[in-house]
Amino acid sequence: MRTVALSLAALVFFGSSAPPRPARDDHGSAMSALADVRAAVAEIVRIEDGYAVGHGAYLRAAHRAMNALVGRRDDGYAPSFGDPGDGIGTLGHLDRMLDQSGSSLWTPAVEGAKANVLAAAASLQSSLGQKEMEDYEADLTQALASLALVVGRATETGVLGGLDGALANTALGVPAGATTVSGCAAPNRAPAYGIVAGRLAYVALPRSSASAGIPNGFAVSRVEVAPAWVVLYAPAARAAIALCRAGSRMRRMRAVAAPGAQPPYTAAQAHAGSAIYRRACLQCHGADLQGAAGPAVAGTEFLTNAQHNKWTLGDMRTTVFENMPFSNPGSLAPQQYADVMAFLLASNCYAAGTQPFPTAAAPTLAKVKLGPIHGARLSNPRLGTCSVR
Amino acid sequence: MLQRTLLLGLLAAFVATVSGVGTARVGAQSAWPSADAYVAADKDSANWILPARNYSGNRYVSGAQITTANVGTLKRAWTANVDARGPLEVAPIVWNGTMYVTSSHNDVYALDAQTGALKWHFPYKPHVIAFSANRGVAIGDGKVYEATLDGHLIALDAMTGKPVWNVVAAHDVSNTFFTMQPVPYKNMLLLGASNGDWGGIGYLSAFDAATGKRLWDWKTIPGPGEPGHNTWSGDSWKRGGGAIWSGLAIDPTTSTVYVDAGNPQPDFLGTTRKGANLYTNSMVAIDISGAQPKIKWYHQFIPHDTHDWDPAMPPVLFTGSVAGSARSLVAAGDKGGNFWVLDAGTGAVVYHLAVSTQKGQNTEPSRKGDIACPNTNGGVEFNGGSYMPDTNAFYVPSVDQCGIWKSQGTATYVAGQFYLGGAFPALYGPSTGYMNAVDIGTGKFLWRKHLAFPQIGGALSMSTGVVFTGGVNGDFTAYDAKSGEVLWHYPTGMTIQAPAGTYTLGGKQFVVIAAGPAGVNFADPRFNKGAPTLEGKYSHPTAAQISAFTLP
Repeated sequence: MRTVALSLAALVFFGSSAPPRPARDDHGSAMSALADVRAAVAEIVRIEDGYAVGHGAYLRAAHRAMNALVGRRDDGYAPSFGDPGDGIGTLGHLDRMLDQSGSSLWTPAVEGAKANVLAAAASLQSSLGQKEMEDYEADLTQALASLALVVGRATETGVLGGLDGALANTALGVPAGATTVSGCAAPNRAPAYGIVAGRLAYVALPRSSASAGIPNGFAVSRVEVAPAWVVLYAPAARAAIALCRAGSRMRRMRAVAAPGAQPPYTAAQAHAGSAIYRRACLQCHGADLQGAAGPAVAGTEFLTNAQHNKWTLGDMRTTVFENMPFSNPGSLAPQQYADVMAFLLASNCYAAGTQPFPTAAAPTLAKVKLGPIHGARLSNPRLGTCSVR
Repeated sequence: MLQRTLLLGLLAAFVATVSGVGTARVGAQSAWPSADAYVAADKDSANWILPARNYSGNRYVSGAQITTANVGTLKRAWTANVDARGPLEVAPIVWNGTMYVTSSHNDVYALDAQTGALKWHFPYKPHVIAFSANRGVAIGDGKVYEATLDGHLIALDAMTGKPVWNVVAAHDVSNTFFTMQPVPYKNMLLLGASNGDWGGIGYLSAFDAATGKRLWDWKTIPGPGEPGHNTWSGDSWKRGGGAIWSGLAIDPTTSTVYVDAGNPQPDFLGTTRKGANLYTNSMVAIDISGAQPKIKWYHQFIPHDTHDWDPAMPPVLFTGSVAGSARSLVAAGDKGGNFWVLDAGTGAVVYHLAVSTQKGQNTEPSRKGDIACPNTNGGVEFNGGSYMPDTNAFYVPSVDQCGIWKSQGTATYVAGQFYLGGAFPALYGPSTGYMNAVDIGTGKFLWRKHLAFPQIGGALSMSTGVVFTGGVNGDFTAYDAKSGEVLWHYPTGMTIQAPAGTYTLGGKQFVVIAAGPAGVNFADPRFNKGAPTLEGKYSHPTAAQISAFTLP
């Protein structure tokens, strides 16, 4: 409702005086901001997944990602490297959305997104000065992590939801010019967006054109089919509709633990990896993981040496995925390698979590430094290892 | 123990004298080989005091009891178990009735060479950087010398096995270890550093045998201002590789050491190290008569290698007949499947011969992956071969495998990790081997046998026309040097990655071979477990044994 009102206000302003200012379209701005983020992410992923040789290619990628994020009005914009975005930049679009009096329900999400764009830009700026590949990749990883927060996710609201969360759950998800209705009642027409106090409850689409697709930025939690239209409920629809009935407060979203320097793997992976280790690794690395024809891969001997040589989980991954088994490297499937990594981490007494060890190269692994774990509950104190069930 | 050993020493001297091949080296006053005795090691049938028997590096004996006629009756005389946590690659040293051997993790054992009974055991627990392997000890002046996986050089009391001195001999123990058998020469121990796939630079070092003090280093990669430095682009020389894995040959008349430097690094990413990359993959003749080593000549077998095809075979010096005239030659072999014969005086190539399938050798590994042959573990491996003057032939096993190589965009040095710029190749296609006899007169095969499994056991030849070798399938085999016919074989049930030796004790000639678990190179079941012995058995228990054979 508010969006429509603002749009009308803009139209009035537009019609009354010059110079003309583009009509305010927050939904369109959010979509464009996301497109610029994706362009930046694509640049980073391309260079990290690729095999470019030489400093130049990496500098170029960081500059292009930066350009897509900050836009041509920013000092950090370097036109000679090209711009995979639209020239306005994520920052330009977000600034335009925030450049208004008062705030919308989606304002905190957009403010959070802007802070994360600035953080990503700072990481990219830092990467431009790096001389070591590892440092460069660490910066890019940080940039990617920040950009993941800019995008956010449709199932979260507020700052945690990022732009996707705001698009899927607030009036920001309503395209310019679209009809809105009260989300507290079932739709009486279609197409229409059901809104409750700035929250998006549903979108109703005519049955005849429902297959034309879900509106951009919309996420569906539930579908109702009526004779004339299809009602797609937003992820936060239940919370929005609850406001109508009881005015109850939205439940606090459970805080998501901040990602730390903990190796990712699950207990199930470690269990699966145990069998693969026995088949493909044990002959050279031993049943007790203390080495035979090959070196030790777990326990005090391994972790002390890893710490001394400043090994990261990324280094360990490279050796395992690329060069093991030594007499036939690359012969396991990515999932098997990931499971073996999980088994080794568990054997080294790292705690299991909910994030699986990834099957693809992940720059974040370079942030996890290996070394003896203080306070670990060792199954074998002499070797410094933990048994895996 | 002391008395018993001295007694055996006297007995050995007596046997050597009556058999007509005795020298001045053994006597009541000289309990350990003199510098002259090492030079004359070839004439001493009682003992085996250098890694490949003599300074020439040629595992050849004349006047053997074992002949083509009686080798079929060869029986195992004894076995001795050693630590089985890795492959055995040891060349046993035999002196005065005692045999000195090592396990993969640097345990040293003194055995009664007649019975295999343990005299003493020196246990060691080194940190292992990449894989466990040791090729044996040196002896001299009442000491047993071993170079270890954690970069130490250790002298043990030869009578008790207790350490006398222990020095850190590697410059950077995070990326450098030792697998090579130290070579005694005059007052020195010569030792090469293994660091060629972990970001180091290879070097040959000389240590004072009495104290372990370093006397000199010869680096395999020329630094700024040195000849050959311009064969490296930018700073790539700093981690250029060129490890010295294999044994040495020495010409004592000129104090020239012949040494092979290993592959360049990063192994599979040549674009970061443009140029020929000297002295990687080269044989280098070095004058060690002075206070500092001096290069006499070099020959680079594979310039700018991108497949880890280093010349793994220890050099062998010999006088052979080429096109009817006697020439001083030195033989080499590389993992690229080439057997080389060079002029020992100049390094000029006399000829070379492909002893393994060669394909795709001129294509640098791409990110997508490229097939090339031989595989990194293929070609001529680290135990080399043997020249037999009686047939004017060189006997050398080879491995026939292909691999798929992949490079990466960059190579980042991380201490203690591979520095490859890619991945070691995955095996592609079959994994077989050859026993080759090369006619030195023509540079062509005298004969060759295609075998169903890789062959890396080196060769021991005897003037009586018998050639011994071992396969990774566990077969210890005697061939007829002239025809290639299998005269005898013994399935040890373990993987043979060690060279054979021989000695005479109590009037009997013994042949000795070490066998154990497969090393990391051959751990994949397709490399060994699926390869039948000549009797069709598939038996690979995890054990590590020294086995001595003799005639009944």
